Amino acid sequence: MSCNYFMIVYNAQTNKMLASEIVDCHVLVIGSGGAGVRAAIEASRYGDVALVSKSIAGKGGCTTMAEGGYNAVLREADSCTIHREDTLRGGAYLNDPALVDALVTEAPERMADLIRWGAVFDVTGERKIAQRPFGGQRFPRTCYAGDRTGHEIMATLMERLDATGAEVLNEYAVIDLLTEGGRVTGAAALDTRGDLVLLQADSTVLATGGGTQVYDISTNSAAGTGDGFALGYRAGAELIDMEMVQFHPTGAVYPYDARGRLVTEAVRGEGGFLLNTRGERFMERYDPERLELSTRDVVARAIATEILEGRGTDQGGVYLDVTHLAPGEIETRLPVMLEQFLAFGVDIRKEPMVVAPTAHHIMGGLAITPECRTTLPGLFACGEVTGGVHGANRLGGNALADTQVFGKRAGEAAGKAPKREKKIDPEQVETLKGMLDAYLAGSANPAAVRRELKIAMWNGAGIFRTADELGGALATIDRLAGLPLRAASPQNLIECCTVRNMCTTASLVVRSALLRPENRGAHVRKDVTTSWEPAASLYGHTRISLQGARIEQREGTA
Amino acid sequence: MKEITVRVSRFDPATDTAPHFETYTVRVNDGARVLHALHAIHDEHDPTLVYRYCCGSGQCGSCAVRIDGEPGLACMEEARDGMTVEPLALPVQKDLAVDMEPVLKRIARIRPADDAVLPSQEEIEAIKPLRDCIECLSCVSACPALQVTDFAGPTVLRQQMRLALDPRDTQNRIDEAIEKGLFYCTTCKRCVQVCPKDIEIPGKAIEKLREIANRRGLTLPRHQEVAKLVEETGRSVARTEPTFLEQVPEVIEPEGEVRGEVGFFVGCMFNGRVPQTALDAMEVMKRNGIRVIVPHDQVCCGSPLIRTGQTSFINDLKQKNIDAFTRRGIDTVMTICAGCGATLKNDYETPFVVKDISEVLTEYGIEPPAKLDITATYHDPCHLLRGQGISKEPRELLRQVVREFREMPTQCCGAGGGVRSGVPEEAAALGAKRDEEVRKTGADVVTTICPFCEFHIADCTDVPVKNLATLLLEGYRKKDAERSDE
Repeated sequence: MSCNYFMIVYNAQTNKMLASEIVDCHVLVIGSGGAGVRAAIEASRYGDVALVSKSIAGKGGCTTMAEGGYNAVLREADSCTIHREDTLRGGAYLNDPALVDALVTEAPERMADLIRWGAVFDVTGERKIAQRPFGGQRFPRTCYAGDRTGHEIMATLMERLDATGAEVLNEYAVIDLLTEGGRVTGAAALDTRGDLVLLQADSTVLATGGGTQVYDISTNSAAGTGDGFALGYRAGAELIDMEMVQFHPTGAVYPYDARGRLVTEAVRGEGGFLLNTRGERFMERYDPERLELSTRDVVARAIATEILEGRGTDQGGVYLDVTHLAPGEIETRLPVMLEQFLAFGVDIRKEPMVVAPTAHHIMGGLAITPECRTTLPGLFACGEVTGGVHGANRLGGNALADTQVFGKRAGEAAGKAPKREKKIDPEQVETLKGMLDAYLAGSANPAAVRRELKIAMWNGAGIFRTADELGGALATIDRLAGLPLRAASPQNLIECCTVRNMCTTASLVVRSALLRPENRGAHVRKDVTTSWEPAASLYGHTRISLQGARIEQREGTA
Repeated sequence: MKEITVRVSRFDPATDTAPHFETYTVRVNDGARVLHALHAIHDEHDPTLVYRYCCGSGQCGSCAVRIDGEPGLACMEEARDGMTVEPLALPVQKDLAVDMEPVLKRIARIRPADDAVLPSQEEIEAIKPLRDCIECLSCVSACPALQVTDFAGPTVLRQQMRLALDPRDTQNRIDEAIEKGLFYCTTCKRCVQVCPKDIEIPGKAIEKLREIANRRGLTLPRHQEVAKLVEETGRSVARTEPTFLEQVPEVIEPEGEVRGEVGFFVGCMFNGRVPQTALDAMEVMKRNGIRVIVPHDQVCCGSPLIRTGQTSFINDLKQKNIDAFTRRGIDTVMTICAGCGATLKNDYETPFVVKDISEVLTEYGIEPPAKLDITATYHDPCHLLRGQGISKEPRELLRQVVREFREMPTQCCGAGGGVRSGVPEEAAALGAKRDEEVRKTGADVVTTICPFCEFHIADCTDVPVKNLATLLLEGYRKKDAERSDE
């Protein structure tokens, strides 16, 4: 099976429709992380598939950077019921229960797929998949491949993808979804030269991952710019809970230019202590029961509080210490951490790491059904670009499971969707061409806009929020979004489109945050008090689309 | 913030005929990586600079470039003032971005059996060291074999072994590995040196694949002849003239005061093919007050067999050698062959310490020789430089005995890993590259500490090749002659 190529390409500099390409396929998958590749593998069982990747597939996205692990119920003593409860409780009961059911029941099956396809996970002496404890879970159910678990999953998926007939388009950046009468019919993309390419499909799967690159300090890869949220929103899809941004408690603070780099939760899972500059194991004051293995929202706020109250280091962090562990244990269980810190002059076998919170994961995203249908016909979504699976706070180890469970579901549903007569709306293409031409004639340096946006988000929509600060951030975002971005050459058009997406995503986060007048999970408003337990909250999802924005109010609770 | 100056290779194949360098002065924070310097150029100076990157934390393998000539990850290597940044030695798409796909496509993918099950802990642990690869292609950029053959590249062979170790895989990975150039690797370990994950591809993949190939009868005929010779005679070199061991007593006493004592492992080349060099080395030891004990029951170290995967009787050799030295109570064994030294240090577990002659002489300090009126350059034997981490000592010794020392870039000569005997055309092509570099230095003599390099380079260049020990001895002779003239 292979996709059909028609020739038609638009070159913005010469304003010519050259012999450009239209890729025509049954299923178009946008995104090459764990969810996208899993979706492509599944969809290829039903028809010809094109997977379009902004990077070189296998190297892009955040899955390959995921270190800690994959949650799956594999032991007699554990159960899907407990995994479900842990996930709901961790998510402050904002999760969509049907999605959580799918996650916990299918995570073990999807793990079995990976093993069947050649994944090299750590194994116990009894020939069982090894599992480690992770935060917020009552059973050590996090499967791992050292601390390069995501890399292992990605390597395995790429090998499997290679065995399918899926067409992989590397280094094409999707800049908008194509729509025809409210139905998504494919996507428009730019190649590295800046030429416009049109991709047509019966079904389109959005698997673009997250977007915490909109924050100054972020764990995300360079690809985590929130493109999918923006693409979906502009096409008319509804997004939920976009205010729910997970700040990972432990990001590196040095070197400054690489600040925010993830320090895996596995460090705490393996027994690492968090200490302030007074040498206090301060988690005793915030969650005496679970200590360092409390949920990420709690640990991140604890660290932020310690720093704000003057008990942080000069570099603006707290200590994360594993020096009490045997050096050999650190070498085998945390090799990537050891190697990274050594490169930056710190031997974690002998001295503590310095860490501070960093924007990590967007729990919100496109609203989906358990079959991964979005609110738009023809558009499916899976992975971090979706909302509802993780509620108001994601458990460590649930994201990799999410990519596999919902990647498979999205691929299957998209693959089974019927073939359709496809048309491209010439008006939409003209509008896009106009936008690209304008970038070539623009004046604002996208790098400068991006920098200002990231700082505005960190300061105005971070771990602790107020309506005032959110309003200030929104004003900045609106101003930046209105600037005439400049592409210095056609190859720079992608950067302009990316900054455009970042502004949209940032705006969705802030507008949603303004809608939720409660403290719940990762969303904390210093200007409101919350007297109810999360399970009894008055509020449901925030919902945002081109039609407007609102928060669901529940009756008869609280 | 600090200011640094960076030279960056720029190239647009659409408009340029050749790459050129541009120099930028940028401001970066303390501890900034090369990637951050590139960002600063792109954001503040020239947005058209093209470079690839993604994870920013050494995990995706997108951003490998050459920094001052050495391949490395831009996101992990610290930015230095005055550094030069170039693309990997692969076809350049634009500026620092290279075409990775043709190599990535040659990396084999697992074809698991339908009824594949979870491997055992032992099997997983065996695979893991080969699984850390992030496919950054630094090794492909640096590998000398790739310059002269269609070798698929170190990481491609790494993956062959990773798959061969996996009980779930169904394909014949050995035949594939041979097609991909299994016998082209000189085991120079340049790939290990540049690998951001320190994957030991020659030791853990190439030599292991060659072992499996050997069990299937696929070893190259020339290599099989060597193994047969070792099995029958204990030596990898046939006797054509009186050997070193036949010419020396078991104990060689120094002249004058005894400052130290070492055991001496001579190696097959110095024993049988060029015994005079070993005899020269003994003279140097005598001159410097070091007693040398030479067990006559020592045999081949096994290097030619290990490098070519013929390991069926390797343990016998190891035991004989270890016994030969321990029986005489020797605690330091000296080698003068880089290959033997690397093998004793890395492939053996010895109850004694092993040192190269350059280490021994440096530790004891040598009597200054007279300076020979020549210009010399030095060829780093791979098995000394990367196999034993020795580069400074030979240069310091050399500087003491020649009028002028000139550096040349380090690269494998092509003799190692069984390549000189097994794939002579590759060895000759790499040797020709050495000749070019040697001639560029204008040196009168090339010095080295490895008989394989010495022999091979001598075949490839008209410039005389000499062992360091021989040069030192010449220096002493000159000194003596000058004294008697006085």
